[in-house]
Amino acid sequence: MNNHRIYMDNCVTTPVAPEVLEAMNPYFLEKFWFPGTFISTGEETNAALAQFKEIIAQALNTLPEEIHFTSGGTVANNIALKGLMGANAKKGRHIIVSLVDYPDLLTNAAYFEKQGFAVTYLEPDSEAWVSADKLQKAIRPDTILFMNTIVNHVVGTIQPMQDYKKVLEAADHKIFWHADAGQAFGKMHLDVQDLGVDTLSVSAHKIHGPQGIGALFVKKGTKLSQLIHGVTRVDQLQTGGLSIALIAGFAKAVEMTFSDLDANISYLRELSNYLLEKLESTIPDIELNGPRGDKRVCHNINVSISYIEGESITMMLDLNGVTVATGSACASQGLKPNYVLMAMGKNHVQSHGSMKFTLSRYNTKEEIDYTVEKLAEITATLRERSPLYQAIHNKER
Amino acid sequence: MLYSQTVLDHFMHPHNVGKLDNADAEATEGSPACGDQVTMFLKVNPETQVIEDIKFLSYGCASNIATASIITDLVKGKTLEEAKKITWQQAMEELGGLPPIKVHCAVLAVDTLQSAISNYEIAHGLKEVPNFGKDTIIEELKKIIYPKVGEDIVSLKMVKYVGYNNNEVIIDLNLMRFDQWRDNIAEEIREHLKKYPQIKNIKINFPDAETT
Repeated sequence: MNNHRIYMDNCVTTPVAPEVLEAMNPYFLEKFWFPGTFISTGEETNAALAQFKEIIAQALNTLPEEIHFTSGGTVANNIALKGLMGANAKKGRHIIVSLVDYPDLLTNAAYFEKQGFAVTYLEPDSEAWVSADKLQKAIRPDTILFMNTIVNHVVGTIQPMQDYKKVLEAADHKIFWHADAGQAFGKMHLDVQDLGVDTLSVSAHKIHGPQGIGALFVKKGTKLSQLIHGVTRVDQLQTGGLSIALIAGFAKAVEMTFSDLDANISYLRELSNYLLEKLESTIPDIELNGPRGDKRVCHNINVSISYIEGESITMMLDLNGVTVATGSACASQGLKPNYVLMAMGKNHVQSHGSMKFTLSRYNTKEEIDYTVEKLAEITATLRERSPLYQAIHNKER
Repeated sequence: MLYSQTVLDHFMHPHNVGKLDNADAEATEGSPACGDQVTMFLKVNPETQVIEDIKFLSYGCASNIATASIITDLVKGKTLEEAKKITWQQAMEELGGLPPIKVHCAVLAVDTLQSAISNYEIAHGLKEVPNFGKDTIIEELKKIIYPKVGEDIVSLKMVKYVGYNNNEVIIDLNLMRFDQWRDNIAEEIREHLKKYPQIKNIKINFPDAETT
């Protein structure tokens, strides 16, 4: 176990699958051409692109013409949000988002606020779950956009998409709906037609595809104003060059994840349950952040370890060859505790002592055994040094 | 890696960590709400005023632990006057530098040392507390952290009333009987205030219990 790094921060990015790398190779070395007409090289890329698009469309149960390639999830979110707002600004001035959404959505909301739009920030419950009732109450006659993150990126909460759909369908005017599916894609079944969203973003590098490529679903007939102007090479929304090799890798990653999605999900669920059980039975004064069971995505476990600070924990785990994430202010560049945990009503100690484990199909139970064993040792060491723990512990004795 | 090897060494194997029984002075600075909290304990020779032993506890990140550790090394065997001259810049230099965003951790560790020295001097009549009164007491209460939340009891509005009259301190705390930290907090208040020779008696009242 010593020479092998254990990686449990898969919600940020994942290693490329060897098969994906192999699938990309010919498109870097030989078949690197952009699509075109009448000449064989361009036509060959056309055909390949159509095939890749088909694979991604199938994974989302949508039409290939509704899929646009972008250079990642954040670009997809920006093309969708600024595009929707640009095309519909005259219809209303109000936007709805929640306090626990992905930074892409919240930074866009802040940008729109600066542009003079009104934004309602929905409050989550203590498990980062945002009820459809709150959405319903926030709707105004001038609401034009609702944006949400299907699976919370910090605590894995699955939001009630079906309930949102009912609320938005019952509204007396059209409210455009954009969803970020970054953490949901490949971790649960997503039927875009059934979801009812107008736009939806996904990313390749969260499912063992390459970094720098993603896709945006745009429902047929939805108008987006152009965000990126330039020559159309691969996609009319993200103009300019897009790597055909990365798209090939993306398609391969989707194929691998979705060839048996249920098996993938159940393996991740089994690993997560195993990890949580181990943590709870090994480390005293530990609590799960976010929901337990089916309301939580299959690959995320987030816990708070009382009386000690997360940057110290992650650094010690790092020196033991394990990569995980923390919500501690000390580990963040802004020295702020994690905003999702704080919006859930957690306090500073719970946020500073929070650890996020996000698993992939390449993790094993042996890795979990080693990680929890090390974490238990680290917790005991840091608690020995902690004035908070000492104050309480000494008085209990 | 953002941290120097010296920082990592002190972080993984800190010197002088733990609680010092029968300390002559101690101080706690920072709070979990700010991200860091350090407690330092001093054992001082009353004849020579040499710091014979020093220990620390830290709720904090690697740089916090490392800075506190190196400060204890720098201070041990020094007189109070010498120790007062130690700066956070010096501690940082000894550590081979810190990332800019982590400098406040070094400041906190040095502040804690200076508070502990000051507490010793006040308790031993070496230093007058200027304008001792209600405000001095409130400043002390701001250093007492409600452990579960990680914020101080004043910010959390747990202190309903503070009075100081005829060398007696009266504090009304808004903490109920079922609050598991109530006794800890009361004890900590007494601990923080005992260094002031002006105080002869401390009364702490709760809404639903007899005075302790």
